[in-house]
Amino acid sequence: MRGSKKTGGALIQNRRMSDEVYITLLVASVAVGLFLIASLLVPNFFQWLNLLNLVTNNWAVISLGVGVTFLLVSGNFDLSVGGVVALSGVLSVWFAQSTGGANALSSGLGLPYWLAVLSAITGALAIGGLNALFVVRFRIPSIIVTLGTMMVARGIAQVITQGSQRNTNLPVEFGVLGNLTAFGTSVKLPVVLMGVLLVVAIFIERKMVFGRLTYWIGANPVAATLSGIDKARHVTFLYLFSSVIAGIVGILLSSEFKSGYSNRGTLMEFDALVIALLGGVAIAGGFGSVVGMFFGALILAVVTSAATGMTLSPDWQYILKAVAVFLAILAQTWALARRNR
Amino acid sequence: MTNQPPAAVLAVEGLTKDYPGVRAVDNVSFSIDSSTVHCLVGENGAGKSTLVKMLTGALRPTSGSMMVNGSVYQPNTPHDARECGIATLFQELHVVDELTVLDNLTLGMERSRFGFLIKSDLDDKVVQTLAAIEPSIDPSARVSSLSVAQKQIIEIARAASSGANVIIMDEPTAALSEREVERLFGVIHQLREAAVTVIYISHKLDEILKLGDAVTVLRDGKHIATKPLSDVAGRSELIEMMIGRNLFQDYTPRSTVTDDVVLDAQGLTNKLLKDVSFHINRGEIVGFYGLVGAGKTEIARALFGADKIAGSILFKGRMVGNSPKQAIANGIALVPEERRTQGLFTNLSIRENIPVMNLRRMSDCGVFRASEEQTAAIEYVDKLSIATDSIDKHTEKLSGGNQQKVVLAKCLFSKANLLLLDEPTRGVDVGAKTEIYDIIKTLADEGNSVAVFSSELDEVLGICDRIFLLFAGSLKSEVTNNSDVDIAHILNVVTGGGEGTSQ
Amino acid sequence: MNLMSQHSSFVDPSNPRGNKVSAFLRTYYIYFVLVLVVTVLSVANLDRFDLFERGNFLNQRNIIHILRISAPLLTLAGAFTLLMVSGYIDLSVGSTMSLSAVVYALLAINGVPFFAAFAITLVVGFGLGAFNGFLVVRLKITPVIATLITLSLYKGIALLLVQDGVSAIKSGGGLKMPEWFNFYGREGVLLGLSSAFWVAVVVTLALVIVQNRSLLGKYAAATGGNPMAAKLSGINTKKTIFSLYAVVGVAAALAGIARSSFMSLGDPLSGDGMELSAILVVLLGGTAFSGGEGRVLRSFIGALIIMALTVGMLTLVPAYYQTLVIGTTLLAAAASNHLVSRKESAQ
Repeated sequence: MRGSKKTGGALIQNRRMSDEVYITLLVASVAVGLFLIASLLVPNFFQWLNLLNLVTNNWAVISLGVGVTFLLVSGNFDLSVGGVVALSGVLSVWFAQSTGGANALSSGLGLPYWLAVLSAITGALAIGGLNALFVVRFRIPSIIVTLGTMMVARGIAQVITQGSQRNTNLPVEFGVLGNLTAFGTSVKLPVVLMGVLLVVAIFIERKMVFGRLTYWIGANPVAATLSGIDKARHVTFLYLFSSVIAGIVGILLSSEFKSGYSNRGTLMEFDALVIALLGGVAIAGGFGSVVGMFFGALILAVVTSAATGMTLSPDWQYILKAVAVFLAILAQTWALARRNR
Repeated sequence: MTNQPPAAVLAVEGLTKDYPGVRAVDNVSFSIDSSTVHCLVGENGAGKSTLVKMLTGALRPTSGSMMVNGSVYQPNTPHDARECGIATLFQELHVVDELTVLDNLTLGMERSRFGFLIKSDLDDKVVQTLAAIEPSIDPSARVSSLSVAQKQIIEIARAASSGANVIIMDEPTAALSEREVERLFGVIHQLREAAVTVIYISHKLDEILKLGDAVTVLRDGKHIATKPLSDVAGRSELIEMMIGRNLFQDYTPRSTVTDDVVLDAQGLTNKLLKDVSFHINRGEIVGFYGLVGAGKTEIARALFGADKIAGSILFKGRMVGNSPKQAIANGIALVPEERRTQGLFTNLSIRENIPVMNLRRMSDCGVFRASEEQTAAIEYVDKLSIATDSIDKHTEKLSGGNQQKVVLAKCLFSKANLLLLDEPTRGVDVGAKTEIYDIIKTLADEGNSVAVFSSELDEVLGICDRIFLLFAGSLKSEVTNNSDVDIAHILNVVTGGGEGTSQ
Repeated sequence: MNLMSQHSSFVDPSNPRGNKVSAFLRTYYIYFVLVLVVTVLSVANLDRFDLFERGNFLNQRNIIHILRISAPLLTLAGAFTLLMVSGYIDLSVGSTMSLSAVVYALLAINGVPFFAAFAITLVVGFGLGAFNGFLVVRLKITPVIATLITLSLYKGIALLLVQDGVSAIKSGGGLKMPEWFNFYGREGVLLGLSSAFWVAVVVTLALVIVQNRSLLGKYAAATGGNPMAAKLSGINTKKTIFSLYAVVGVAAALAGIARSSFMSLGDPLSGDGMELSAILVVLLGGTAFSGGEGRVLRSFIGALIIMALTVGMLTLVPAYYQTLVIGTTLLAAAASNHLVSRKESAQ
């Protein structure tokens, strides 16, 4: 036997922070740093309430980001989530609207609310299933498939709302879910649900076999198959998972605004992708984390809200996103290369 | 033949290539005469492919020099080599399927004005070259409509018309039918008449004896001989020069072999395999030995359920499922041929690689047991003496031997009763090799079965109890290993010689 | 030599006639689809409108209308095809188009003459495309991400160039669009069709020649078909990719000018969704995702199909069906491409 035999103790003692934790810490410190810088530049920025708002205002995109992050880690895109948000929101309204309204847009199927919600989620699942069918069975690049299903989902929403929105003839309970506040605070139910989702997602990612399978598949799909992992089944689950989240987000949003609007969620798929990339998720697969995505969302929130605070035109958001992603990718590549030199 | 030696078109002098821990090519010097077919032979691991990579500019030599037509030759890329008149036919085809034959022939040599292609004598020249070699190929046909052999002809024609005076062919007949091989030989003879030198690399000794003018034999990275084939007394002398030494590891008969059939395969047939039948016993190490393209990987993948195949496979008396997942559940594990692309998750750590094939053991109702994972990682790093300072090291940063041990650890962790090892020691240094052999033997001694699919004779002779000899998709013969096994016979069979006859 | 020609083992043993039929179908199916779409739309209209009156799909005004509004997509289709053939993609074409449209309108409204404004806008388009190429080739950012970044960046710049409170560059506030501004995209110059349409035809023909007769076209196919073979042949694949991105940028600028001139304004959102249309058109034309395969002319026909479908549909169903139909067509095109390529690989 060559060399000295390592004892178990040494093998653990020598444990080094993984690249993933390293990048996540990097992203987190950038988020904190940006928050501090923004506090210096923008009056009244440095407030707990503002910090809280940065998260609560972005609950929808952060929730979508969870599904998108899992898929990216497995090596797949999901650009359909924005469309699914619109579809499920519109479906929940249409199903819940009572029959026999004054015109086509004010009469729906008159289902009880719980059934309307379930049916809307089923509609979202159908889009996720379509994604899985095309990506897993037909092996068509996920970027093209999910661009297509994004249009299909939004297209169905537009047909149901005739290109505008449905907001009449709704049962009273329709507006409850999206506007319920939790524990006497101003925090709304969707934000609480986002928190729960994040905790569950981090648990799945870090502690469960399901999370580990996602990394294995993303890291090396061929080796994963030869190691007995059912890749097709897992990626199918991930697409269904992502579309259910998007479906629930859509239902909550339409409940909050008491309307089903076919253009709701426009560009949300793009923002979800952006925060994942900012958070260090690699589109090559096998690398990234939900926590990183969360801090990525914070970075984006700080940058955009600081820009608004500095009275920049809202049109700046596109440029800021582009520059942020560009810098994030370069910085992460550089940091990893330096670290592993 | 005059006394004046013919001009050497290519000469290497003291050529050496070191890898960490291995000297792949060791002080090799020889020269190749112009307008000849020069064959390069040697067992796997003898240094042929490293030598070829240096000749084509894919690798830089550690020391030594190369000369082309009397001037120093230092290629940095395959393109440099081509500029110097040395073209290579790699084992994988480098033609663009979507373009026409003519477009492929002129690729990279086009005459153009302002970026637009202009009519020149180049087109006529390459068409003539092609017609001279193979008139039946239509220059306007799309390459995707051609057979593998025809695509190879396209590459040869391209090399010839690019003005190459040396063409290196690396196992060109691996994917060709018998008739196509005949045609290729015709082409090679023609090239020789046109003053082109062909360096021909093949394991198929009959081809070499039939085709070659001279032969260079390599063994263990060292140059053994370069001489005209007219001075070689047939296959037996070639084989002798290729082996010519004591075996790396002597086989000792093992006592734990039983007659209890664990796996029974009948009539395995696919594109390559032709009605392959065999059985594997409990506690036995069997070897599948054959050249590249003989069907080893195909058998391994079929047993593992990774590819569809006709025929029946019974494991412990039951049908094996048709997916790796079911194979693993039934107790079969595979160490695949390509460790980096098929076996390892290179950007994950050792700890994260090991549990993948046995999730049931690693988890509780879907929750991962991190402490168990850590224990397992430490256990296997220790057991297989994987050289690392931490179980959190990325497998990417391990040496080839240690990477292979991690793949082995994955399979051991699955508690398989039948382990399939496809080229288990390819690119692995000598020390790790011995350790891997020890692991294999221990495993078999514990009552498991192991199948080793290898193109290295040392390997199968060193550890296998029984050896199946494969040639061109057929199982030609079965040899029971013992200390005085007839090596010449084995080499004769796997290089295409008649079964049972040895010179 | 004689020895060679006596053998015939290299002659393809498979049925040559069957191959010819399938090759014919593969090459010309797109024209059948075009005829089919036009026919269906025409027949479907019969019960709604008079056969020889304004409603009929196949009347002169309708055809001119379709071809006129098709100009941007027709201009873009060929260049986008060449890029996809090389195995790369540009998701920023819509934003490049919007930004070019805004720049062109800004120049025009500030008194820059037609040819100068036209030329400057093309240079801007070249620059935007070249920047994409720079991100992909030099900084080695994955094409999808690199062009998503510029999608957002170019769109943001276009929005910023338009004053707050105004949705687009147009006449008003003391500035007036020059008279000539919508001539290019609207007025019939030949057979009643606009200059922008004829430019699209010329660009497509030029790109057909580039694809068949130039180094760039050949190297695009080689790079997409077998990158390793291309490199071994000494082809500068980086230069090829960079040039193709620049060509797409110029084509997108032309498309932006056409749209801007047609609408008589510089709308910073006018190119939104163009990347989807471009992908759809190219897929309809049978271009493979994996690169190597694809013809400029077939994408041009694909663009005609999409525009016929879009406009034809408007006469049959309300406008809000459009997204659904386009999305469904995209999935259908992707699936049929997949089926064709699987059949080929099975042979």
